[in-house]
Amino acid sequence: MIYNAFTVLLNAGPTVMLPVIMFIIGLIFGVKPAKAFRSGLTIGIGFAGIKLIIGLLASNLGPAAQAMVKNFGLKLDVLDIGWGAIAAITWSSPIIPILIFAILLTNIIMLILKKTNTLDVDIWNYHHMAIVGVMTYFVTKNIALGIAATVTMGIVTFKMSDWSEHLVSGYFELPGVSLPTVSALSSLIIAVPLNWLMDKIPGINKITFEAKHAKKYLGLFGEPMIMGLILGGVIGALAKYDITKILNVAVNMAAVMVLIPKMTSLFMEGLMPISEAAKKFTKKKFKGRKFLIGLDAAVVVGSSEVITTSLIVIPLTIALAVFLPGNRVLPFADLAVVPFRIALVVALTDGNILKNIIIGLACTGAILLAGTNTATDMTNLAKASGIDLSLAAGALISSFAATSLTLSFIVYKVFTGNVFITLPLFIAAFIGIWVYIEVIKKKPQIDEAKEVNIAE
Amino acid sequence: MKKVLVACGNGIATSTVVAIKIREICEEQGVQVMVSQCKLLEVESKVSDYDLLVTTGKFDASDIDIKVIGAISLLTGVGEEETLDEIVKVLK
Repeated sequence: MIYNAFTVLLNAGPTVMLPVIMFIIGLIFGVKPAKAFRSGLTIGIGFAGIKLIIGLLASNLGPAAQAMVKNFGLKLDVLDIGWGAIAAITWSSPIIPILIFAILLTNIIMLILKKTNTLDVDIWNYHHMAIVGVMTYFVTKNIALGIAATVTMGIVTFKMSDWSEHLVSGYFELPGVSLPTVSALSSLIIAVPLNWLMDKIPGINKITFEAKHAKKYLGLFGEPMIMGLILGGVIGALAKYDITKILNVAVNMAAVMVLIPKMTSLFMEGLMPISEAAKKFTKKKFKGRKFLIGLDAAVVVGSSEVITTSLIVIPLTIALAVFLPGNRVLPFADLAVVPFRIALVVALTDGNILKNIIIGLACTGAILLAGTNTATDMTNLAKASGIDLSLAAGALISSFAATSLTLSFIVYKVFTGNVFITLPLFIAAFIGIWVYIEVIKKKPQIDEAKEVNIAE
Repeated sequence: MKKVLVACGNGIATSTVVAIKIREICEEQGVQVMVSQCKLLEVESKVSDYDLLVTTGKFDASDIDIKVIGAISLLTGVGEEETLDEIVKVLK
């Protein structure tokens, strides 16, 4: 009986499975049944909506991208469908309940062992860590590897949140907060060494220029509907469509840019009661202890330096996509979330605009290449999750999230490669960095503080 | 009826949390209100239609003519009630 019911649900696909799974997760966290049911259904509606929009995007952009390949040899046939769609695919995976609890448990255990100070109950952003496990499981068919990949993402994310806390409290003036949002943290892997390197070049810190007018001239790159309209029009023109068709693609792409976030916010709305319940539960558990509260990096991307840098980096990223050898990703939906990939870079360089642009482009370049590399796996996973890509004219899909992010890409490659070689290497490197930051680097800092005291 | 614009980084995640909390408190207190969400990047083009702007996190509000309230406390849970009181006061 129970088995039969389960088979019926499984055969019904993610649109049905998702509300059921979220209802059960809600109940486990102690959300009242009526509320949990509504939450689950809201999330299911969000998923149905995202599926529709991706259909609109793929059927417009897919054939146009293929035509661009034919007309100009512009091989940008991997469509950037945006992180919201990726999050939807992640949340609809059959192993998602296990992964969510694995991440939460990893956080709680690390807190108990005092290996992290970040309390991360921002359940919403767990999808960044979960997708690596979902994809690993999808490719290897090994559930243990999938869970291990997600737990690894968790451990690294919580540590990086701790390590970057000074940027959040210092530059963004938000004390007591850290940002376990992979889409923001991941850039630090490239940004920290590059920033260190650029500091070695004499005079680079002295080069500053005014970017005040960026908002005036590049403001449209901050408005998704206008950006969608223009990009759609340009792509339609490059596809050598007639004018009616160009206008159609343009308006449809503006619609996609505006509608994807609306659908995604349904997801967030449905998840909120679960997130709040988890917050209450963990706060009770660790009463009296001082934490860094893990928040969505959305709280820092409003800083005007981040906005200015993003407005410059967004058009440059589009240009980069065309010229970067090996790239096949056509940047689109996720251009709207470039500020997340830039935010911590801006804090790291202390707002040096030249460094921000160079490092920012290095980060988006890495995202494009990793996105190209993992596009086939992502496309197969999306199809298995019931996303209809039949009208996409054979184009693949990707995004600026999931395994396109540098950190997620590395962990994904570690767990889908020859784990007997890659895993020890990864662990050695991670522990090396851990020791460097928490043991070696800490000491001279104390000395410096002393010196300052003496000097005073 | 007063109109509130809630803005966060992507107009999705944290602004949804804050928007729901504002709707809930206003319903409790019997205050009629319309809450919309947007990205921080869109604030300048949209804000003129609203009575109150609520943001999550660092935001340079020097060019904004209406009342602005920072609502990071609704995310961390520290000082949540005070912020909600302040919001309700403006909307009453």
